[in-house]
Amino acid sequence: MPNAIGIIFANSGYAILQGLAEERPIAAVPFGGRYRILDFALSSMVNSGIRTIGLVTPHQYRPLLDHLGAGKDWFLDRKAGGLFILPGVMHSLAGNSHTFCIKDLQHNMEFLQKDSVENVVISCGDQIFNMNMMNALDVHEEKQADVTLIYKENDNIDDLTDEVFLELDESQRVSSIRDQKGLEWSESDRPHYVNMLIIRRPLLLDIVEKYSSFGCMSLINILTKNLDVLKIYGSATRSVIRTIRTINDYFDQSMELLDQEVRERLWLGADRIHTKIVDNPPTQYTSKAKVHNSLIASGCTIAGEVLNSIIFRGVILEKGCKIKNSIIMSKCHIHENAQMEYAILDKAVTVHEGNVLKGRSSNPLVVHKRTVI
Amino acid sequence: MKKQECVAMLLAGGQGSRLGGLTRKRAKPAVSFCGKYRIIDFSLSNCTNSNINTVGVLIQYRPFLLNSYIGLGSAWNLDNPFGGVHILPPFLGDEEGSWYNGTANAVYQNYEFIDFYDPDYVIILSGDHVYKMDYSLMLKFHKEKNSEITLATIAVPWEETSRFGMLTVDEEARITRFTEKPAHSDSNLASMGVYIFNWSTLKHALIADAGDYQSQNDFGKNIIPQQLNLGKRVFAYQFHGYWRDVGTIESYYHANMESLSDGHFLNIFDQKFRIFSNEDILPPHFVGLKAEIKNSLVCNGCIVHGMVSNSILAPGVYVGEGVTIENSILLPYVKIHAGSVILKTIVGENAEIMNNCIVGAKGVVTPDQEGITVIEDYHIIPIGSIIEAGKNVYSTRTS
Repeated sequence: MPNAIGIIFANSGYAILQGLAEERPIAAVPFGGRYRILDFALSSMVNSGIRTIGLVTPHQYRPLLDHLGAGKDWFLDRKAGGLFILPGVMHSLAGNSHTFCIKDLQHNMEFLQKDSVENVVISCGDQIFNMNMMNALDVHEEKQADVTLIYKENDNIDDLTDEVFLELDESQRVSSIRDQKGLEWSESDRPHYVNMLIIRRPLLLDIVEKYSSFGCMSLINILTKNLDVLKIYGSATRSVIRTIRTINDYFDQSMELLDQEVRERLWLGADRIHTKIVDNPPTQYTSKAKVHNSLIASGCTIAGEVLNSIIFRGVILEKGCKIKNSIIMSKCHIHENAQMEYAILDKAVTVHEGNVLKGRSSNPLVVHKRTVI
Repeated sequence: MKKQECVAMLLAGGQGSRLGGLTRKRAKPAVSFCGKYRIIDFSLSNCTNSNINTVGVLIQYRPFLLNSYIGLGSAWNLDNPFGGVHILPPFLGDEEGSWYNGTANAVYQNYEFIDFYDPDYVIILSGDHVYKMDYSLMLKFHKEKNSEITLATIAVPWEETSRFGMLTVDEEARITRFTEKPAHSDSNLASMGVYIFNWSTLKHALIADAGDYQSQNDFGKNIIPQQLNLGKRVFAYQFHGYWRDVGTIESYYHANMESLSDGHFLNIFDQKFRIFSNEDILPPHFVGLKAEIKNSLVCNGCIVHGMVSNSILAPGVYVGEGVTIENSILLPYVKIHAGSVILKTIVGENAEIMNNCIVGAKGVVTPDQEGITVIEDYHIIPIGSIIEAGKNVYSTRTS
């Protein structure tokens, strides 16, 4: 067991995703057939041996609490430790991104005060990854660092807007933390911080106390300001890490799961991604089913044709329907001979007989929850 | 401790030797069924769905995998502070104690457990039947009839009456005659092996039976006939629905395959009466570009690149390219490598069939057990093997 507790900011990241994240935070957006995006951060911490995790909630937190319950499915229904809900503060304007806002922690100081562990592992809740954080914790202890920032090298990122870049000396100590301003495109493959860090608990308490009067300040900004007085180190990761900022990100990263190699790195290894268990029966294929290159969750009934698609739990596809390059979330019902291409159907959508839905690869069609077509 | 109205005693200690290679490493109730389930899931889920939250599970034969599967019973919502699941192995006392010798003896040895909860009624269940049943309706019947012992019964086809314990009842459903596997029966009501006793009646019956050295200490063979002879109020509760004993390779195979047919009575898709299970956490299954799956059940974590028809793929199964699987049941984590053909076969858990094998090939003689081939758990079939239909393939011996 590592000498650490975890905090996940489920309110980091803000995007509507054409309605997928309108009534739920990005952390609660369904992903990969049976998961929610938060499952990845939560499972990574649990698989790293952390059994005390505080979850900073966004303002529409009902779907998250519904999903998490007492944290049983992540082994977080502990007598000592377990899952703690840390109500987040309302930030100024919706849409302002405040990753790791100090005010959120100030309102939940007790969570940090009552534990006696040495370190706090902090992660955002809107990234898709499967990472064992023990490696970074080892680096943290070996260097006797105050703070260890987890970073990635050589990632081809298209959108630099919110990226934070690091400069490290040969001992892996961070010498500069900066955003993309003034950065040439050719430099974009330098180490960039992946919204995960390890910090000494007493130091974090100190920072929260000193900076709380400044309002909504983000932790990384405070660290940048104190770079000279703190021992801040970097720890590299080779894990697949994906961030979802647009509906295209969501679509592309979902479709990436059809690649065996991505699946192997994300969820077929020793560390599993845990999620809420619903005890569905196996998926039933009828004699009319034709399914190719697709991911299918449990509890579905499949009588139609499916190609290059992701089908969530409990979906019914009647005979003659054709599903191509689409994502169909749980409990959708597609009636006979309906067709769709490049569509994303939110939960419990019904498509009646013979309807045709068509989006484009560059602009997938999103159908809102419980729509009847 | 809170008094319970009804305590369930689940008989899960039998070897199940007629399931051959499937039960050499695990007790029969822990055998995989219908993809993601294990046989015991049905009895445990029935208890949960019938508001019975105190269950004693009597174990004896190879209990490790069964015990670890049951755990605290939380998968079936049975991790209840007032009751819950109790694993009851044979034990030693100062002078008494022994292996369980018959079903009645197993319950007799645990009378302290039942007394601990001070129930009015005890329901005896079998861990090797597949069915969905609301025991609370049977208990209601038991009370209405002012019955001392109630047997759950099901109508079976007349030609099969010689396989079951048959009951003859009068017009108010009181049992007048019980015959174990009769050659000719005047009734087609078979005992399902589900009994409700008044605890006081059961206690006296067990004590009397334990003193009888002629007795085989079996509920069906001894306790029920003895109590009938004593003139106790024994009633038959007729169950309407799907019920299967999966004690043999043939019945296990058919019960599994029946779940593929439309309008199946077991209806595992019915969310109102859910069957719970303690499943492994696995991602959705992946269906490859060249795969074809027809009329089959597929579970989480499977990777399918070949052709699958009329078959059941349990969690974590791998089907390589160019593989053909027909009329077969692949149990959890089975791997079938490229080019192999699997026909009418039950492949045991974690077994691996290497490239270009034919399993279930047509032989020259008429095959045994209806031509169903069985591969034992963890067995590895080497490249290019041909295994004739109806064989039982074991790791250490062939029969």
